[in-house]
Amino acid sequence: MEEKTNSTGQNLGIAALITAIITFVFAVIPCVGIIAIIPGIIAIVLASVGLSHASRNESPRGVLIAALIIGIVAVLISLSQIFVAGEIVKKTENKWSGEIREVIKQVQEDVLRDLEDASVSIKVESNGEKVEINTHLNRKDLLEELEELEELEEVNTEEDDTLQTEK
Amino acid sequence: MILCKRKSDQGSLPGPDIRNHPYIIINIVLAGIIVLIFAYSGIFSPVKDNYPVKCIHEKLTGEPCVSCGLSHSFSLIIRGKIAEAYQWNIYGMRVFLFFALQLVIRIVFSFFYLKYPDTRKELIIFDIAGSVLIFLIAFFPFIRSISSGILG
Repeated sequence: MEEKTNSTGQNLGIAALITAIITFVFAVIPCVGIIAIIPGIIAIVLASVGLSHASRNESPRGVLIAALIIGIVAVLISLSQIFVAGEIVKKTENKWSGEIREVIKQVQEDVLRDLEDASVSIKVESNGEKVEINTHLNRKDLLEELEELEELEEVNTEEDDTLQTEK
Repeated sequence: MILCKRKSDQGSLPGPDIRNHPYIIINIVLAGIIVLIFAYSGIFSPVKDNYPVKCIHEKLTGEPCVSCGLSHSFSLIIRGKIAEAYQWNIYGMRVFLFFALQLVIRIVFSFFYLKYPDTRKELIIFDIAGSVLIFLIAFFPFIRSISSGILG
């Protein structure tokens, strides 16, 4: 019975060491380094279970400790790959946001330039009711409108004055 | 007791029982994995570009990494197109050589382990030290990219 548990611990140790070595090699490769975290955890679990078996039966623990150390280092490397990928994403995000800001600025300028001589139609539809506002935004027209409004205002003020004098 | 002994005798392999030698088991498994890597490179064609493993780093960041094109490079090396392999990944050859060397080391060291039982401890230490050194040389560009990514 004791022999059987010893061999179980040894088999666990071998499995853990092989998994840890493979994980270690793959963790260093950036293309697959991120997914190496999964076999790395498996290697750590196997080594831990093997160590608990070994401590109960007082069997040799060299292979298990080696597997545990390699597994932990492999998981750390894999985690660092995630960190590196995150940093790259951050950098590219900053770069993109800057570019996006410039594009928005350009679009804004273009839209404003176009709107100076454009007709704008705004349609609002709510609960079957429709409201449509049509405006022709031409700079000349706007200036004329402004002048007309000013004239009207002047006339109104004059009328007000006459009214006041009558009183 | 006799029954148990008979059972174990039936399952044992001819010659030295490899189940009592973890080093041999580890060597066999690692050699098998390396053969599988070479088989993967041989089966999947660089022309058809039908590799099932895609770069996760590129998917996440949108930018190619140092190890991108390694599968293509391996496939081309196996097909003897070395110059083209360098174009896909400049470090492809050194990583391929690492795996090839490891395959040889697993076979040769297993043979020496069984042939010379007195030098087993020294052999394992030499194997670990040598493999770590070869690994560091072969994977140095990848290790450098990780460290530069962490340090900024």
